[in-house]
Amino acid sequence: MVNAFDASARIEGPTTVIDLIGLLDRTAETRLNEVFGAALDGRGGPIVFNFGGVEYINSTGIALVVGVLARARTTGRPVRAYGLTDHYREIFTITRLSEFMRIFDNESAAVAG
Amino acid sequence: MALLRRRSRIPKSVPGGEAPVRAATADVAGDPHEVATVHTEFFLPSAEGNEREVMERVAAAVASLGLSPARLERLKTAVAEAAMNAIEHGNGGNAALPVGVRVESTSRMVTVRITDQGGGTPIPRVEIPDIEAKLAGEQKPRGWGLFLIAKMVDEMRTHTDGSHHVIELVMNRGESW
Repeated sequence: MVNAFDASARIEGPTTVIDLIGLLDRTAETRLNEVFGAALDGRGGPIVFNFGGVEYINSTGIALVVGVLARARTTGRPVRAYGLTDHYREIFTITRLSEFMRIFDNESAAVAG
Repeated sequence: MALLRRRSRIPKSVPGGEAPVRAATADVAGDPHEVATVHTEFFLPSAEGNEREVMERVAAAVASLGLSPARLERLKTAVAEAAMNAIEHGNGGNAALPVGVRVESTSRMVTVRITDQGGGTPIPRVEIPDIEAKLAGEQKPRGWGLFLIAKMVDEMRTHTDGSHHVIELVMNRGESW
């Protein structure tokens, strides 16, 4: 069953981990920007996206990721990611998102950087 | 009105009823004498979110055609993006206008045709999005759909006859990439 989008943030070591679940499409915009904005306003350090609970990403979702990445770059905060399926890792490579957002195999690696 | 046909290939570094399975003359690329098999044909309203139903119904229709799991996922992404384009841009999000979907196969390829009613405006050419410009705030973050479609499938063809757009997504059978 496909779930509606939600996001939540937690502190892990020097990073803020944002857990994403559900559909990363147009309907994710408000909540993603809300949680990401709070993370940017909070403590410093890298921001780590956990895509492990994301069931579907479309081109609008890609645009949302580009948008938050652009916001992060204005602050100098690095953004990392883990939990992508092989298919979405390929899409992140094709779109070159992976050149601007380091992709890791798991949370411990992403938090350690 | 003449059909305008455009084939797009970029480097890889790049309302609803359902018809029964039947044979059809192959107007697909390849052997013009081979009869294509129609696996499904259906129509859905142009409502937001219906692209996912299109994606799942196409995936079910091609499940037995030997596409690898990775290639099936690529086709699903391309189908969803093409359907979303048809819904949002071709049919303007008007639920009264249907998106048509037809899945055919020959021994060499699987073809998914997605049709909308927006043929009065041409389908844009595929361009490679400039992610650096988008990250710098010089461009809007959007504009990935056609690029993703073209990168996900072996061939993408677009047609317009002035009242309809047709996007054809082709996956060659027997490939492993």
